[in-house]
Amino acid sequence: MDAQNVDMFLMANAKFLEDHQIFHIRERLLAMDETNWKMLQFMQFNDPVILLIVSLVTGPLAVDRFMLGDIGLGVAKLLTCGGLGIWVLIDWIMIMGITRRKNTEKLMMAIY
Amino acid sequence: MSLTRNRFNLFLSLACLVGYGWLALVSQLKPEEVGKRYDACLIRHFAHIPCPSCGSTRSVLALMHGDLIGGLYWNPLGFVIIATLIVAPFWIGYDLLLNKETLYRFFRLFEKTLRRKWVAIPVILLLLLNWGWNISKGV
Repeated sequence: MDAQNVDMFLMANAKFLEDHQIFHIRERLLAMDETNWKMLQFMQFNDPVILLIVSLVTGPLAVDRFMLGDIGLGVAKLLTCGGLGIWVLIDWIMIMGITRRKNTEKLMMAIY
Repeated sequence: MSLTRNRFNLFLSLACLVGYGWLALVSQLKPEEVGKRYDACLIRHFAHIPCPSCGSTRSVLALMHGDLIGGLYWNPLGFVIIATLIVAPFWIGYDLLLNKETLYRFFRLFEKTLRRKWVAIPVILLLLLNWGWNISKGV
C-alpha cells in the first residue's frame, strides 16, 4: 500500500493499538495490496479511554467486558459482583491495555 | 495473550478457589447476616443500590442448607453459581486427566450462543428484571 496512506492510517489509529506492534503493522501494511485500503478505512476500534470510563462507572456490571466481546468473562464478572470487587479494581488498571491488545488482534486478523 | 484452554482452566480453578474461600469465610453466618457483615459489592457500597448479583452469596448459603425457596428469594443467580462451583472442579479434573478440552469447548459454545440476538435479548431482560427485583427487595 501507499506509504502515505499507511502513515495516515497509523496516525489516526496508533492510540488504539499496542505500541510495540506499530512498526510490525506498518511493515505489513506497506507490503499489502492497495485494494485493502478501503477495508482498513472502515475498521472500527474500541477506544481505550472510553473503555476505562465505562469500566470505572459500570465495572461490577461488566459492561466493559461485554463491549470487548469477552462474553463469558463478562458473565462471570457480572455473576460475582465484579469478582467480589477485586476483578473490578484489576480491570480499572488493565482495561486500557486489554483494549489495545484486542484492537491489535482484530487488525492482525484482518491483515493476515 | 488470548484465553487459551490452559489459561481458562487456571482462571476457572482460581475463581472456584476464591469462591470456596469466600463461602468458608461466610459459612458460619446466617444468610441474612452476610450482607450486613461483608459488603463486597462496589455498587451497593457507593451507590447504595444492589447490583444484579447482590444476594448471590446468601442464595448459595441458603441452597447449601437445602433451602431452595430461600435460594430463589435471595437471588436466582445463586443456582448458576452453586452449579458452577460444584461442576467446574470435576470437569477441569476430567479434562486435565484425559488431556481433553471439553470444558473450554463448552465455554466457547456458551459465548457463541450468548452472542446471538435471540438468546442475548431474553437473557439481558431476565437480568434486568432480576436487578429490579433485587432493588425492590433491598437485598
